[in-house]
Amino acid sequence: MASVAIPQLSGYRRPAVLDWIMTVDHKKLGILYLYFTLFFFAVGGILALLVRTQLSVADSTFVGNDAYNQIFTMHASAMLFLFIIPVWAGFGNYFVPLQIGAADMAFPRINALSFWLLPPAGILMFSGFLVDGGSANAGWTAYSPLAQQAGVGMDMWIVAVFMLGASSTIGAANFLVTMFRMRAPGMTMFRMPIFCWTMLVTALLQLLATPVLAAALAMLFIDRNYGGSFFDPNGGGNVVLWQNVFWFYSHPAVYIMILPGMGIVSEILPVFSRKPLFGYKAFVFATIAIGALGFSVWAHHMFTTGSVLLPFFGFMTFMIGIPTGVKIFNWLGTLWGGSISFTTPMLFALGFVSMFLIGGINGTFSAAVPVDFALHDTYFVVAHIHYVLFGGSVFAVFAGLYYWFPKIWGRMLDERLGRLHFTFMFIGFNLAFFPMHMLGLDGMPRRIAVYSEDAGWETLNMISTLGAFTIAVSMIPFLIAVVWAFMRPQDQPDNPWEGNTLEWATSSPPPEHNFDSLPPVRSERPLFDARQNGDGH
Amino acid sequence: MRRVLLRRGSRLVAVATAASLLALAALGSASAAIQPGGITDEARKMHDLFIIVLIFALVVFALVGGALVYALIRYRRRDDELPPQFHGGTRIEVLMVGIPAIITIALFVISMITLVDIDDDADPDDLTIEVTGFQFSWQFAYNLNDLGLNSDPNAEGTLAIIGTPSAEPVLVMPVDEAVEFVLVSNDVIHSFYVRDFLYKLDLIPGRQNDFTVTARETGDYRAQCAELCGLNHSLMRFTLRVVERAEFDAWIAEQAAKQRGDDAPLSVQAP
Repeated sequence: MASVAIPQLSGYRRPAVLDWIMTVDHKKLGILYLYFTLFFFAVGGILALLVRTQLSVADSTFVGNDAYNQIFTMHASAMLFLFIIPVWAGFGNYFVPLQIGAADMAFPRINALSFWLLPPAGILMFSGFLVDGGSANAGWTAYSPLAQQAGVGMDMWIVAVFMLGASSTIGAANFLVTMFRMRAPGMTMFRMPIFCWTMLVTALLQLLATPVLAAALAMLFIDRNYGGSFFDPNGGGNVVLWQNVFWFYSHPAVYIMILPGMGIVSEILPVFSRKPLFGYKAFVFATIAIGALGFSVWAHHMFTTGSVLLPFFGFMTFMIGIPTGVKIFNWLGTLWGGSISFTTPMLFALGFVSMFLIGGINGTFSAAVPVDFALHDTYFVVAHIHYVLFGGSVFAVFAGLYYWFPKIWGRMLDERLGRLHFTFMFIGFNLAFFPMHMLGLDGMPRRIAVYSEDAGWETLNMISTLGAFTIAVSMIPFLIAVVWAFMRPQDQPDNPWEGNTLEWATSSPPPEHNFDSLPPVRSERPLFDARQNGDGH
Repeated sequence: MRRVLLRRGSRLVAVATAASLLALAALGSASAAIQPGGITDEARKMHDLFIIVLIFALVVFALVGGALVYALIRYRRRDDELPPQFHGGTRIEVLMVGIPAIITIALFVISMITLVDIDDDADPDDLTIEVTGFQFSWQFAYNLNDLGLNSDPNAEGTLAIIGTPSAEPVLVMPVDEAVEFVLVSNDVIHSFYVRDFLYKLDLIPGRQNDFTVTARETGDYRAQCAELCGLNHSLMRFTLRVVERAEFDAWIAEQAAKQRGDDAPLSVQAP
C-alpha cells in the first residue's frame, strides 16, 4: 500500500442550516450563543417594559396581580439564566481559544452539547405561559413554600433551570481544560489575556456552585411532585434550607454574571488608552479573591430571616469589597497617563466602570447589617442589582459586541450610531434605576404589583418607567448599525483597534482553523510587542 | 517635571476635598429627605449608621468619580505618541489593597457596634404582640395578661385583630415603652416591614422570630409585607398606630368588650 488517497471534503457543502446545527466549531457555537442570548435579552427587555408600565402609575390595572408575578419572575429568569450567564459563554466560546492561540475548545462536541441544551430549556421555561396556572410566578429566587403553590409552569421552570445548569457545568469544565491545556507556546498563565482569566474563575465558580443549585432544584421538584418535605416544616423539613442552598449557588452566580464583563472591560481600556492593564497580577488575584470570597457571603441575602449568623456574613460581605476596590484602581490606573480615544467600545467600557462604581458603593449599604434591615427587599436592592448587572454586565456586553464585532464579522459597527446608542442607554439607564434608590429608602417593597396613591411613589416610578423606555429606544440605533454593517462588504482591516491580544493576530473573521501562524508570546500583549519589533514589553 | 506633577497633584487633592465637603454640606441638609429618620430608638440608631455609610459612600464616589473624570479629560488622545508603558508597582498596589481594606473594615466595625446596640432582649414584662402573616393579610394578637404596663396578670383571653386585603388591619401599640413582636406564619414566608421602624423581619413557617422596639412618636404609619407571598402580596398592607398609654388601655378595653359581646374575632378597619 504505497499511498492512500485522502478524500477531499473541500467540494462538499452541507446546507447552511445543517451546517449551523451540526457545527462543533467554537466560533460558530459562539455566534449561536450570542444570537440566542441577545434574543432572550430582547424578550426579558419586553417583560421589563411591561413591569415598568404596570408600575408607572398608582393603583395600576394594566396587568393583573397574577400576570404581574409571572412577568417579573420571567423577566429575571430570562435575563439571568438565558441572557447574562450564557452570553459570557458565547463570548468565551468565540474568544478564549482565539486569545490563547488554540484551534478550538478542548471538547468541541461537549461544547456543542452545552449550547444545544439552551434552546429547549428556553422554550420549556417560556412554555409556562401556555399552561394552566401560567408560568413560574414565585420570583427567580423561587422561595419555598411559595414555590410549592405555583402551577405546573413552576415545574417547567425547575427543569429548564436544571438543564441550563447542566449546560453551564459541562461548559465550565470545557473552558477550564481548554485554558489549562491548550495555550500557545510561550503563553504562561500570567501572560494569558485578562478576559481568559475572568472566564477561568467564572468557570471554576460554575463548576463548584451549579451542582448545588441542581441539588436544590431536585429537592424542590421532589417536594412539589412526590410528597417530599425537604423544605416543609410539617414534614420535618426546613423552609430556610431552600434559601441557604439557593443562595449558595446564586451568590457566586452574581460573580458568574459580572466577572467576564470585568474581563472584557479590562481588555478594552488598555487598547484605547494605549497602555498595558495597570496591575495585571493584582487584577488576577483580585478576581480569584472575589471568586473565593463569593462562596462565603451567600447569607447576606437572608439577613432578615432571623436565622443567619449576622456578624460573619456581614464581615465576609465587606471583605469582598476589597478585591472589588482593587479592580476600580486597576481601571483608573490604566486610564491614568494614557492616550484615551473615545470609541464606542471604550464609551461602553467607561459606562461600565462608572456605573459599576455606583453598584459597588450602593452595595455597601446592604453589607452594613442594620442598614440592610431597612433596605432589604425594597427597591434600593433592585437599584443595586441593576447597577451591577445592567450598569455593569449589560454595558460590558455591548462594549464587547462593539469591540469584537469587526473580529467576528469582519465589519465595523457605525461609530456615530454607536455613540447615539451609548448616550441613550446611559441616560435611560440612570433615569430608570437611580430613582429606585429613593423609592427603596421611602419603603417601597420590591415585587409589588400595585401601590396606593397616598404612598407618594408615583413621580419616581414614572421617571423610572420613562428611563426604561429610553433604554428600549437606545436599541434602535444599535439594530440599525448591525443591519447596516451586514449590508456592507467585509473590507475592514484585521486589527482595526490596534488590539494587543492573539485574537487580532489572524484574519477577521478568522479561518476555520483560526491561525496560519502565531507570533511569539513574551508578555500578555504579544501583538503590541510585535508592533514594537519584539521589544515592546 | 516632577514639580509640575506635584502641583497638579495638590490641585487635584484640593478639588477633590472641595467636592467632598460640598457633598457633605448638601447631605447634612438633605439627610432627612434621603431616609426617614425612624420613630423608634432602634430606628434612630440605624438611621445614624445609614448616614455614616452614606458619607463614606459619597466621599468615595466623589474621589473616584472625580479622578475618573479628571483622567478622561486630562489624558484624552491628542497625538499618535505612545504614552509611557506603565505596568504598576508594589507600593501603589499595596495602597490599592490597603485603602479599600481600611474603609471596609471601618464600616464593618461601625455596623457591628450598631447591631449590638439595637439587639436588646425583651423584658418578660413587656407588652407582647403576636403577629401572624397569612395570604393575604395580618392577624395581631394581644394576650390580655401580657399587656406591659397596667397589665392584669389574672386577665384571660386573647384579643385578635384580623385583616383582609380590602379591610387593612390596624396594629395599635403604646408609645415610650418596649414592645416585643413575635412573628409567625403558617402558609408561606412573609416579612413584617414598617418603613418608619427602618426594620423588617421575616415570618417563616416552622420558625418563630421576634424583635423588640421602643417607639418615640405617636401617629399612623403605613406598613406592608416585604416578602413576595403570592397573588395579592402587594395588598398585604396594614397601618401601625402608635398611641399614648392611656389611649392604648382604653382601646384594649373597648376591643375586649366588643369581642366578648359578639364572641367572634374582630376585624378592625383602617379609618
